[in-house]
Amino acid sequence: MRENPVYKRERTVSSRSARLPVIMMLFNGILAVVALLNMYSMASQVEVTAEIQYSRFLDLYVFVASIEFLLLCFIMPALTAGSISGERERGTLELMLSTQMTSRGIVLGKLAASLYNMALLVISSFPVIALVFVYGGIQMKDVGALLLLYMVVALLSASIGLCFSAICRRSTMATALSYGFLAFLIVGTYGVNFFVWSMSRIGAAGYLDQVGGIAAQGSSGLFFYLLLLDPVLTFYRIIESQAGNLEAAAQIFQSFGGRGAGPVLRVWIPLSLLLQILLAVVFLLLAIRGVDPVRGEPKKLQKRKKG
Amino acid sequence: MLTITDLKKAYGRYHALNGLSMTIKDGALYGFVGPNGAGKTTTIKILAGLLSADSGQVILDGVDARRERQALKGMIGYVPDTFGVYADLKVWEYMEFFSACYGLEGLIARKRCEVLLEQVGLEDRMDQYVDGLSRGMKQRLCLARALIHDPALLVMDEPSSGLDPKTRKEFKELLQELNGEGKTILISSHVLTELDQMCTDIGIIDQGRMVLSGSMGEIMARVERSDPLQIMVYQNMDQAMAILRSHSLVGSIAIKENCLSVEFTGDHQDEALLLQQLIDADVLVRGFFRKQGSLESLFMQITDHEDKEVLLYEGKPGL
Repeated sequence: MRENPVYKRERTVSSRSARLPVIMMLFNGILAVVALLNMYSMASQVEVTAEIQYSRFLDLYVFVASIEFLLLCFIMPALTAGSISGERERGTLELMLSTQMTSRGIVLGKLAASLYNMALLVISSFPVIALVFVYGGIQMKDVGALLLLYMVVALLSASIGLCFSAICRRSTMATALSYGFLAFLIVGTYGVNFFVWSMSRIGAAGYLDQVGGIAAQGSSGLFFYLLLLDPVLTFYRIIESQAGNLEAAAQIFQSFGGRGAGPVLRVWIPLSLLLQILLAVVFLLLAIRGVDPVRGEPKKLQKRKKG
Repeated sequence: MLTITDLKKAYGRYHALNGLSMTIKDGALYGFVGPNGAGKTTTIKILAGLLSADSGQVILDGVDARRERQALKGMIGYVPDTFGVYADLKVWEYMEFFSACYGLEGLIARKRCEVLLEQVGLEDRMDQYVDGLSRGMKQRLCLARALIHDPALLVMDEPSSGLDPKTRKEFKELLQELNGEGKTILISSHVLTELDQMCTDIGIIDQGRMVLSGSMGEIMARVERSDPLQIMVYQNMDQAMAILRSHSLVGSIAIKENCLSVEFTGDHQDEALLLQQLIDADVLVRGFFRKQGSLESLFMQITDHEDKEVLLYEGKPGL
């Protein structure tokens, strides 16, 4: 099978640059420091109290997994947001588009290169994640589920970065918008739910009640389903199913979801992962459209032919 | 070979191309000339598949740009006015990347890269990073890149802008060499002095329309007639004016002291006959010559309009 030229070039360039090794060093350095401090704290407590709290071993896993998740969320847009706009700024995008490379080939090549970098980051962090196996309590399938989530969040944040990179002329604008949208998915969806939920609680949701029957349910109504797009909540849900001690997350689901949220909560993880993949696909299609210099041409042509 | 018919392109209310039509023959080195904003880059970008035209037709060797855009891209080599290089790639990697973009890989691509780099004089720089090349070398590398898939037509948008005179001369020689090998080249520029020495054909575009086109010989014949005839009258100015006013090949006449500047559309023989007529009428002529014309002066005559109104209003003029 022919290798995508853009992916091949990106890999060559990134293997030469100091950027990826530096990111990997910082990424794993932060993870290792967090994990080792956590272990040290546990060991110190045992020395003082002579009591072993096995539940705290799981905290190490939750802690390391959370840090890795957040780092992935914030590193991927940085890797992708300037990738297409940077080509445009250098004048090389125009050159690529004048060849027989399609806009789809360019975007997918960029995506593959960023996922390759993400895979390097995740694989290089395995030793730190594996510290949890020293104590047990976590199974391989749990780590598998976590990796799946990492892949989905990497795909989502990379496609957000690529989309804004394709639409914006400047890399700085693309980076700002990518982080802005990611912040909306992570914090904004929660904020919208919190606002609507608060309104329903103070009985001032007359209009909103018509939209989704919010006040009657004492929840955030249909807005609750926006949380399916929030990768942090998906992560919490996965971790909750593995470690089972995340009261804050459980409270969010109970409050915003209300009584009718039960069936959705049962399939929350696969449903949210699926929706996030679909959202990533939408962003990739927008990116392909943004890169294509003569977008909409075939349709225009068809209309003219009919006319 | 390349036929463009009634090409139109507007950016909002700004009409960059207003029904451009042109033809480029096989093996031509076509100089595409026009003032800034005339529509040269828009035309070239449509040819390179980077823009779509609002209407009109572009056909290269029977391939329609609208219906077979990918196929057309495989037939055109595009050199933009910016270098567009990857600073962190080596010269051979840069070439291999673009050959892969055209679907060329392996030994065939490697051989083709070597041949082209040798042709542009960069064979000893293959392992050097692109960033370390001089401007002239980068431009030659861009040329080699555009030829990687052996295109039927090489399209260059102001390729020598920003180059020093020596590098520009070398680049010009390289283009002539390529043209000599049978490559059809379209080169846009507003540096006319370099075009009139190397092009086989010229097209002058203004306000999105082709205002003059033809072979270099035809254009130069037009150039010769484009500059006014200078007649220095020593005595009998009134008689001279009477003859000139009644002459069918004379356009406008300007008088400055005893020097007449006459717009005369005749050829060398007509000029000789006019001189004879003046002498026969007892006009004492001290000087009779036509100022040496150039492509530049013709270009200025054609495109020099006080009111450069490229904005075409659909409503009332002036709104």
